[in-house]
Amino acid sequence: MLPVTGDSSALDDLRVLDLAGEEAVYCTKLLADLGADVIRVEPPGGSPIRRLGPFVGDIRDPERSIQHLYFNTSKRGVTLDIAKPEGRELFLKLAASADVIVESFKPGFLASLGLGYDDLTRVKPDIILTSVTGFGQTGPHSGWEWSDLIDVAMSGILTLSGFVDAPPYRPYPSQAYYCAGVEAAIGTLLAVTARDLQGEGQWVDVSIQESLSMAQETAMQTWDFLHRARRRVGGAEQAIRLGGLQEVADGYVFSMIGLAGAGAPLAAFVEWLVEEGAAGDLVESGVLADLKEVASAGRGMARDPAVMQRMQGHIGKVADQAKVFLKSRRKTEIYVRGQQHGFLIGAANDPKDIVESEQLIARGWFQEVPHPELGMTIKFPGVPYHLSDCPARVRRRAPLVGEHNAEVYGEIGVGAGELAALKARGVV
Amino acid sequence: MKPPLEGIRVADFSWYGAGPIGTQTLAWYGAEVIRVESEARVDGLRTTQPAPPGKTGYNVSGYYNNFNSNKLSFTLNMSKPGARDIALRLIAKSDVVVENYQAGVFEKWGLSYEAMTAVKPDIIFVRQPVAGTTGPHREFSAFGAVMTPITGLSHLSGYPDRPPIGVGTNYPDYVINPGHQTIAVLAALRHRRRTGRGQYIEIAQLESTMAVVGPAIIDYTANGRVQTRQGNRQENAAPHGVFPCRPRPTTPPIEGAPLPLGMTQPPPEEDRWIAIAVFTDEQWRALRKVMGEPAWAAEPRFSTLEGRKANEDELERLVADWSRDQVAEELMERLQAAGVPAGVVQTSEDVLDHDEHLKARGYYVYLDHLETGRAAYDGSPFKMSKTPGGPVRPAPLLGEHTMYVAKEIIGLSDEEIADLVADQVLY
Repeated sequence: MLPVTGDSSALDDLRVLDLAGEEAVYCTKLLADLGADVIRVEPPGGSPIRRLGPFVGDIRDPERSIQHLYFNTSKRGVTLDIAKPEGRELFLKLAASADVIVESFKPGFLASLGLGYDDLTRVKPDIILTSVTGFGQTGPHSGWEWSDLIDVAMSGILTLSGFVDAPPYRPYPSQAYYCAGVEAAIGTLLAVTARDLQGEGQWVDVSIQESLSMAQETAMQTWDFLHRARRRVGGAEQAIRLGGLQEVADGYVFSMIGLAGAGAPLAAFVEWLVEEGAAGDLVESGVLADLKEVASAGRGMARDPAVMQRMQGHIGKVADQAKVFLKSRRKTEIYVRGQQHGFLIGAANDPKDIVESEQLIARGWFQEVPHPELGMTIKFPGVPYHLSDCPARVRRRAPLVGEHNAEVYGEIGVGAGELAALKARGVV
Repeated sequence: MKPPLEGIRVADFSWYGAGPIGTQTLAWYGAEVIRVESEARVDGLRTTQPAPPGKTGYNVSGYYNNFNSNKLSFTLNMSKPGARDIALRLIAKSDVVVENYQAGVFEKWGLSYEAMTAVKPDIIFVRQPVAGTTGPHREFSAFGAVMTPITGLSHLSGYPDRPPIGVGTNYPDYVINPGHQTIAVLAALRHRRRTGRGQYIEIAQLESTMAVVGPAIIDYTANGRVQTRQGNRQENAAPHGVFPCRPRPTTPPIEGAPLPLGMTQPPPEEDRWIAIAVFTDEQWRALRKVMGEPAWAAEPRFSTLEGRKANEDELERLVADWSRDQVAEELMERLQAAGVPAGVVQTSEDVLDHDEHLKARGYYVYLDHLETGRAAYDGSPFKMSKTPGGPVRPAPLLGEHTMYVAKEIIGLSDEEIADLVADQVLY
């Protein structure tokens, strides 16, 4: 059992106004699941994210967008047209009650409405404004158009991904936005820390392009030191004959078998084959004994050219045997048994495999989230971390369009009559 | 204003990528982060390429150095008797302890959460095991390249008619898992400020990474649909992909540069690609204009998103036929000027040497390092207007701060230190 020492929240005194588009909505999900009072402020009719597929039951409906449902857990929701003068006034009232505002409009857009950082500090001097944009608030590309694909391209990570004989491809969408959301949450919490201790808010400028940069792995330094540009190598890992992607009966596994310093030695793999009755003549022909002897003799012997050549032959024989063995087993079996034998090996899981994972089920990672309006309970991915004393969790389903208008506007002194009038004028 | 994390001390036992990158962010914003390392179990990244030509040893890896700016390095050989006591004395002076070893290592060293709270009641202990410390897979281990398939990212990335080879890197190690770690630490520090209590944090790396394939998981649990790879396409845009541009002569490597592991000799010319993402009909009309209003683009079947999606294979072929002769950077400028989302598929050469925007923002930071010389470091991806942070000191040499930490932080005497060095405990 994982330790649980308490059940409070680290952020339950924080009010966050969430104007985020796709770019930053993961940031506010992280804050909301950690217990902050995140109020999603959507334009009347709902945020554009609600129009993105796929939809629950494949019914195009703003309450059924899976992206809306996933990224807006644990939040409250109001509608507001901040571009209308009355909407602006109401937003400033909300801002006066808030600690943090997260947005991802083009640089200058909020300021053009009179809702820029300086305007916000006039109603809430210690406000924290977190802005997430494709290229940041400053610099020659700050006014440029961006999207997940464009930022992945410009960051330097897209060039690393793909087959040599085909165009490079991006990781599963929208990793640019997840990375930016993670960095925005870090920047926001650092700003909250500074405000808690020193009393001042500030503006956090998050660049999506820069948020992805670290994921270049060693490419940046390889250029810096050597002027060699890493590019996509597509499956070249398979050159290590036992490593890389391997075909199994029902798909693929990725393995680092036989890679020095990564898991159990090659001889242990042959022993596993023996256990499975799949070693062919690797024992009788002396391959296993030789592999063991060389491994135990240490580095000097392994570097002897004659030994190295003999080893290459052995690896070939083991690889041939492995191929037959792997093709006869299912990916989950190879993953679990391989790991139990000390190999760095992973199944190429699809979403169904993930949902059926015995490990995730045993840890209770998934969360059943009731959605009464859709008449169903949906199994949701859990949160990324276990905190023993201030746990994060999906606290409630994503809000319906304008679900908390009366509640939230009531909290800042807008009565029912006034709210009805604002609604009639299309402000909320 | 002072850096937000001034006064916070982190005993950082983690290694490789996912732990150290997370603590680096803390170091950028004022925390004192002490890497606890040893020559007896050197962080694998210290011996991984790239290094400057002709340089060898534990201190010249760009891979390691880029994840450890602003930190101190304290060498402590945990396999020696006596090391546990020193570790606990350091933990007693720390606010946060981080580790990401294979399950069982910290247990073997006798460094349980209980042992830590005995010396520091409000300690925040952060673990980052692969599959978690509970459940049938609790002893599993993996690098990011192995987690990419396990978490579904490989299955979901790439081309539907090609095998799921992943995304070419140890992707989860660099932003997702270290980032989630930093968020958890910042939340726990705030919780401690409000309640006085520390806590135990566990980030199962697989769970942390699966959070970023969330919608695909829900599409299965709610709809029973198993999503698969879609290349660069997406439902609400067309054209949406990367398109070839005119090849560029390959820049010759620095003299004496070895061929890094897994890299082949580059051809004399390198292929160039531009990413184009057209979401609206307005952007489509702007793209047509930049293409010079070719007759095919005026065909009604391409005038709506629906039509472009229905004819996407042909659309992509026609756009590629046009882009092939263009210079990628010039094309990007023209498309962006016309309001079309577009970006060069930049290489490391582009981001470091040619991207004027990143230069203007000062994203990459150049620091002088005793052994590598001047080297580029990733900077902070967000700018804080009043408490700016980022790399200011290069990565530490192995054991560079052992004496300082032993004496000034742990409070060992010169005599004790001499004995511990002689016994290879401080090693």
